Amino acid sequence: MSLIGSIGNLTPSPLQRLPGTQRTDALAPGIQALAPKSLAGLEATPTAGFGKIFEQLVNTVEAKQSDAANITKSVLLGQEGQLHQSVISMQEASVAFSLMVEVRNKLVESYQELMRMPV
Amino acid sequence: MNLITGIDVTSSALNAQRTRLDIVAQNIANAQTTRSVDGRPYQRKVVTFETELLRQSGAVRGSAAPTAVRVASIQTDNTPGQKVYDPQNPDAAADGTVTMPNVNLAYEMVDLITATRAYEANLSVAKNARQIAMKTLEIGK
Repeated sequence: MSLIGSIGNLTPSPLQRLPGTQRTDALAPGIQALAPKSLAGLEATPTAGFGKIFEQLVNTVEAKQSDAANITKSVLLGQEGQLHQSVISMQEASVAFSLMVEVRNKLVESYQELMRMPV
Repeated sequence: MNLITGIDVTSSALNAQRTRLDIVAQNIANAQTTRSVDGRPYQRKVVTFETELLRQSGAVRGSAAPTAVRVASIQTDNTPGQKVYDPQNPDAAADGTVTMPNVNLAYEMVDLITATRAYEANLSVAKNARQIAMKTLEIGK
């Protein structure tokens, strides 16, 4: 898990250093000098591990699914709640599950990319 | 965490239109009721809506807070009903006339169609919101 846990440290996204930002760097060299320092500071303080974040995500998805099940149950039992609330909560749980699967796919993809790196 | 944005507003609108449909059903069902709970002929009910500010910790930023809809009141239409001469009816007055409910079936059908279409429009919004969320997840593919 230590390999995966280190992914949490990659908070300064590589996408932030697009060509658009380079232009401002050229205009103000002072910012360029500041940037590496702030990046180094972020790397020094360990952020929450990716495993923990993923665990929270899984918990949220589970909560959404149990919510949907509860609402559907109360609608079927004729207690309270409307039909659309049940369907909407089910859809929300489905979207949350898809998001979780997508995050997992990305994670495995990046891991495989690292393993393919020639040493 | 709300993944499908704006779904709460749509859900409240669905609720409101659902109430309106229920009231239309009640009006149509009681179109011939000459004796309601208070002993007088049934008076048709009218639903009014009002906006409701959604309190979401993340969503409320200045004036951009989403406003949902809710049922403000269910009022009674007090226009007098039609008088029909029917001395056989137990509810007939001394002069033999019966006051019928002030329900006009044509109005109620128009209300029914409007409420159904509004409900369908909100369903489309919900469907679209879900589709957008699923399309967004396809960025990574």
